[in-house]
Amino acid sequence: MNAIRLQIPAHADYIDLVRICLYGIASKMSYAYEDIEDMKVAVSEACNNAVIHGTPDPNEGVIDISFEPEDHALTIKVNNSGSEALATDVLDKAAPLPDADVSGLRVGGLGIYLMQALMDEVEVNALENGTEVVLKKYLNVASEH
Amino acid sequence: MKAEQFQVVQEETTNQYILHVIGELDLSVVPQLRAALEPVMNRTEKALVLNLKQLKYIDSTGIGIIVSVLKLRDELKAPFFVSDIPPAIKRLFDLTGISRYLIEGTEAQA
Repeated sequence: MNAIRLQIPAHADYIDLVRICLYGIASKMSYAYEDIEDMKVAVSEACNNAVIHGTPDPNEGVIDISFEPEDHALTIKVNNSGSEALATDVLDKAAPLPDADVSGLRVGGLGIYLMQALMDEVEVNALENGTEVVLKKYLNVASEH
Repeated sequence: MKAEQFQVVQEETTNQYILHVIGELDLSVVPQLRAALEPVMNRTEKALVLNLKQLKYIDSTGIGIIVSVLKLRDELKAPFFVSDIPPAIKRLFDLTGISRYLIEGTEAQA
């Protein structure tokens, strides 16, 4: 296991650095451009959740990101130290926008759905004082979507 | 990968307000996009157009803003178009289901 770890303040201004880091790692592993773009969105969604639901004091919270390359996959773990844990049933409830009138559309709630749509495996684990999101994408495997 | 500063450039024609959304639209620039939309999104005398030609990145936060604009313009019965959607962005619009609500307009139309 050769994990590459990155820790950022739990603030939106630092999420682009996670994407830049991911880009470097995934490029080195020879992921296709489109797969890298998918992972960039998914990992940003996990960080968005950590920022939005994380610790109320932005000067204290951090997000820990661990990139774990394997021969045929990349696993990305996003941990936040926030007090509010994401419910573990969010994965089951995630859905795209319904086929409804515009007035019936909800504004939020697409982040988890996008993670599922863009990655091969998604796990949400409740931690003692936060949430861990585990994202996995296979390398050189025919895309399922 | 070159980081491009996010910016919104407003253009006004005789019948449209066009906002060119440029760069990476993520959570950190949500306030900036909202501020750019604020003066024009309630104006019903002209169509509102989001030009996405130079948009490099979007996620659920940006898509959420577009949904909120869609709802507002629908409520106001005022025209709203999205133009020049890059293929990578279009894919996310299709995945989230927002595509079916978006009317693609060119700047010559409407």
